Amino acid sequence: MGEAIVITSGKGGVGKTTTTANLGTALALQGKKVCLMDTDIGLRNLDVVLGLENRIIYDLVDVIEGRCKVHQALVKDKRFEDKLYLLPAAQTVDKNAVNPEQMKELVLELKREYDYVLIDCPAGIEQGYKNAIAGADKAIVVTTPEISAVRDADRIIGLLEQEETIDPPKLIINRIRQHLMNKGDALDINEITTHLSIDLLGIIADDESVITSSNKGEPVVMNPANRAALGYRNIARRILGESVPLMSMETPKTGVFSKIKSIFSK
Amino acid sequence: MTKKQLIFIKGTKEGLVLRLDDQCSYAELLDELAKKVSDEGFEGQAEVLLHLGYRYCNDEQTKEIISCVQQTEHLRVTKIQSDVMTVEDCNRRLLENQSETYVGIVRSGQVITALGDLVVVGDVNPNGRVVAGGNIFVLGRLKGIAHAGSTGNRDAVIAASWLEATHLIIDSVVETMTDELTVLSEQPEMECAYLHTNGSIAIDRLQDLRLLRPNLSTFKGGS
Repeated sequence: MGEAIVITSGKGGVGKTTTTANLGTALALQGKKVCLMDTDIGLRNLDVVLGLENRIIYDLVDVIEGRCKVHQALVKDKRFEDKLYLLPAAQTVDKNAVNPEQMKELVLELKREYDYVLIDCPAGIEQGYKNAIAGADKAIVVTTPEISAVRDADRIIGLLEQEETIDPPKLIINRIRQHLMNKGDALDINEITTHLSIDLLGIIADDESVITSSNKGEPVVMNPANRAALGYRNIARRILGESVPLMSMETPKTGVFSKIKSIFSK
Repeated sequence: MTKKQLIFIKGTKEGLVLRLDDQCSYAELLDELAKKVSDEGFEGQAEVLLHLGYRYCNDEQTKEIISCVQQTEHLRVTKIQSDVMTVEDCNRRLLENQSETYVGIVRSGQVITALGDLVVVGDVNPNGRVVAGGNIFVLGRLKGIAHAGSTGNRDAVIAASWLEATHLIIDSVVETMTDELTVLSEQPEMECAYLHTNGSIAIDRLQDLRLLRPNLSTFKGGS
């Protein structure tokens, strides 16, 4: 029996879908059998980020309304042999097409076959959110170093803490720009974690290649040299139970002194 | 058989004390009271303390008794004392005087309500709201909204290890903690908010609370 993890944030645009795609890919790279579930019915895009848009035949609502079996709706990602699958959301109906009980049943069915079921939650705290968390055992809250995102994360954490069946949520801080933090122009990691006071699961550097790779339909985590990819890989390892120290966000110094030093050390 | 006297009048320094019998019927008492008040030749202005003994009077009856006494312009009722109260009143008073404790963080959108005092062990985050009939004590950072004395207690205070609330409300006085407010300090550590005699909310060091609200401390004795 696997476990279901919901990835949520409250605020939109902080990187829930990107995080779901990359964590799922990273777990699949570690040899786990992963199913990604898009619950953003009506505004799906996890399929686009994964580059699987053209292979969708059935969707989540088709499964719930009995028009097809679960395995018929699952889209296999061929890049990872038999490890990574996607259950896409429907695009033609809205979030009221399903209810939490149906989602719970569906997630339970998926957990029997997969090691990890990652649920991509829509923004907001309404029906879509309630559907998304219904079957989850664990929760990851994604935020960015912006006041508005942190406020919404606080609200979501409050709601998640009231769910008795879900473990205390963990935090991912996305899109970190170290130079802004150093100048004091953005909230720093310490400030965010003390404000929200939940465990920090990982930090992800802001990197342009996240956008370019998403546009190409290849999760950035597939490129191991990338900074953001390293962050996602570390988080995947922490989910698997390894203890991995937080990566340093500092870029190597290129001052005059260090340049002179590097000349002498050659 | 001589009729038992139902009303005793006694003069004290503060004024007259009317002790009303608590065994006779209410109608009988009212009759006697009306008679007594009109018979006695009161002069000048006297303040009256009514002592009801073990008789329970509801609001209407109390009003009736007061108006009966105040038939003559010489008497003015200043205080009513009774040795009994209803179970309902008693329970309410118990709840109002007890202190409730919340352990954890009051997050955005959450509302924590207490009838009496409220102790929060943890932070109150922005847009989190704590409401209490009595005082509010926060062992942590108060960064949200705090409403003390919500049932009309103007003596209620809000104290926090770190007082940087967005809104402070005492009774029905609202203070938005904007930057223009001079009471805001740079280091809002160990501070308390209270209703100043001028009617607006003031903020002071926690150490001054002892002088501002001497009745807050229930600890008696000691050296």
